[in-house]
Amino acid sequence: MHNYLKRIFHWKLIIISLTVILALTIILSAALGPANIPPSVILKILASKISLLNNPANSLGIEETIVFEIRLPRIILAMLVGAALSVAGVTFQGLFKNPMADPYVIGVSSGAALGATLAVVLGLELEFFGLSSIPLMAFIGALTATFMVYNIAKVGHTLPVSTLLLSGIAVGSFLSAITMLIMMMAGERLHQIVFWLMGGLSARNWSHVKMVLPFIFLGTAIIYFFARDLNIMLLGEESAQHLGIEVKKLTKIMLVFASLIAAAAVSVSGLIGFIGLVVPHIMRILVGPDHRILLPSSAIAGSIILITSDTVARTAISSTEIPVGIITAFFGAPFFIYLLRKRKSSIS
Amino acid sequence: MVMLSINGIDCYYGSAKVLENIKFSIKSGDFLGVLGPNGSGKTTLLRSISRTLKPRVGTILLNEKDVYTLKSIEVAKSLAVVPQETAVAFAFTALDIVLMGRNPHLNRFEMENHKDLAIAKEAMELTNTWNLADKLITELSSGERQRVVIARALAQEPKVLLLDEPTSHLDISHQIEILDLIEKLNKEKGLVIIAVFHDLNLAARYCNLVLLLKKGKIISLGPPDAVLTAENIKRVYHVDALVKRHPVTNSIYVTPLPLIKSRISSNKVTVHLICGAGTGAPIMSSLINIGYNVTAGVLNVLDTDYEIAHSLSISVVSEAPFSPITEESHQANLKLINQAKVVIVANTPFGYGNLRNLEAAEIALGKKIPVLLIEETPIAQRDFAKGEAQKLFARLKGKGAISVQSYDEVLSFIETNIEANFE
Repeated sequence: MHNYLKRIFHWKLIIISLTVILALTIILSAALGPANIPPSVILKILASKISLLNNPANSLGIEETIVFEIRLPRIILAMLVGAALSVAGVTFQGLFKNPMADPYVIGVSSGAALGATLAVVLGLELEFFGLSSIPLMAFIGALTATFMVYNIAKVGHTLPVSTLLLSGIAVGSFLSAITMLIMMMAGERLHQIVFWLMGGLSARNWSHVKMVLPFIFLGTAIIYFFARDLNIMLLGEESAQHLGIEVKKLTKIMLVFASLIAAAAVSVSGLIGFIGLVVPHIMRILVGPDHRILLPSSAIAGSIILITSDTVARTAISSTEIPVGIITAFFGAPFFIYLLRKRKSSIS
Repeated sequence: MVMLSINGIDCYYGSAKVLENIKFSIKSGDFLGVLGPNGSGKTTLLRSISRTLKPRVGTILLNEKDVYTLKSIEVAKSLAVVPQETAVAFAFTALDIVLMGRNPHLNRFEMENHKDLAIAKEAMELTNTWNLADKLITELSSGERQRVVIARALAQEPKVLLLDEPTSHLDISHQIEILDLIEKLNKEKGLVIIAVFHDLNLAARYCNLVLLLKKGKIISLGPPDAVLTAENIKRVYHVDALVKRHPVTNSIYVTPLPLIKSRISSNKVTVHLICGAGTGAPIMSSLINIGYNVTAGVLNVLDTDYEIAHSLSISVVSEAPFSPITEESHQANLKLINQAKVVIVANTPFGYGNLRNLEAAEIALGKKIPVLLIEETPIAQRDFAKGEAQKLFARLKGKGAISVQSYDEVLSFIETNIEANFE
């Protein structure tokens, strides 16, 4: 039989290897930090935590607290955010058939920025399931902006992709203008806003994980559900419809859930650039354009890259943190350029 | 059995009506060619049948069910479409693309299995693309891509296949190959074909029904020989055309003719040329270069002189390939001769087929139009009508036709006698 059927085996192999790399990355990242904890101890702590469910008396003291209350929530959050941004990027690029599309293409980032800025400036002290007001306001802002873009772009019952991209840019500029106006008048709170805008995962805890996990998990699952449909959408809307895809319905579902996971990611991490744009491209070069493998492998690769970047961000310079967005772009962009060049020379 | 019935549909783009009261039905086993000038609504008709552009009025029934009440996936199980533009921006292999044709038959989480792969392989073998299976679609030529897309449509296992100018990107051998394939699927599997054609002759050769559209309305529908008449072609395309049966394929053969009057400017001397078999070609181009109006006739289509006359945009009366001159063409030739100041008979071989051209020269003499006979080769050696041509030559000379030895003599004759008089 043709080697097409071998491909499923191939796909399984890719997913398994990426998962192994992800597990190693998590352990290594948990081990690194101002207090050095060897990986073997990390493994012991993880194993004990699993058995802890049966034996609560067993405790490992300070090291356990560092790993569990400080490092692990941050690592898990980085994993979720990296996966969410990559999946949203793959989805938007496929849906718009536009390699420049990223998770922020229809207004998520500018909406989140405005929400977060308002929360800082107004000094809101909301508390909701243990969450502070910044992620909540950012999430609300992101969804509101997406909703605006969506409704502006809608022409009758159709949703033309070009209009969607343009209204995304227009709404984005408008909201950014408001954000900057507020920043101008923010006074001593300006530093806090700027720090949020640069993107980062410092001082995040389990409540952040709990807040975004359901959205990211559900959204990613639903998008993966339509992976084959996304492949066919790449043939163009009319051809997709001729092959049995309900194009308008699919477009709406993909927009809603890709925006939702992007909004969830942005609300807890600020604006982390690059990952959502470039991970899909890297993975397309490595595993091909089929969304059935592209989506899961991008999700895992996005997790690995963001966990690694965040580890560098918090350990590179002692006593201070570099915003993780700087790390992702600083190391990711040259690597991407290398891949681009390599592919170019292999074609010619 | 009626597969598809179009019941009085009107389609609009915004407020512009592009199809009006289209009504017809297609039985299983039909091969319908949709013809018409640019903007006549051919593609729009396919788009409305394929559920892309909903008509404001009327219904479209596929297997007695209204396509606009069915889900996409239901329609896709029995109707496949090959679009005009087939570019894909992402690097799928040709096999990936063909397997996408199996989508209507797969459940949401199902992967393509051996059976789907076998169907895709068969479709690719039929379209001669199996050797391209592992190539990237982005690296194929447009002709290869077109055949891959046809394979994708076949992988859908449709009962009706819509094609929008299926051969527009193909070279002539692949055109014939693809149309032969479609014809075979139509004849052997009863696959209903609806195809938009630009080429009237390809449509006439392959379709059992043709639909002629003009400005969104049906002008004529029926078998090719009933629809593709000179009259209908004039009405829809505004060109005169010669409609004959092709001697080889026995299908209707349409040859568009240049518009006769518009090519002749009245303030120049017009020279009419009787030629054939390439003897007129150098004379035509030389006379045109010097600045004369040249007309020619009667010439058979496919004759070298006809091709040259056509490429020089010379008004020419034409006859179907390898056919004797009909009365109709003869009369048209006389009309051209009437507008000429001089008639030149080139060093052409004469047989029964073109003897009538010499009769036309005789009539010219009767109307006081001078006739020049170029006799580089004595007429006896190029008379293939058992002496008839020689007799006619003698008669022409008796009535005042001037015999010359070369084309140079023709030029000096025209310069001294005709042009002087004309001015």
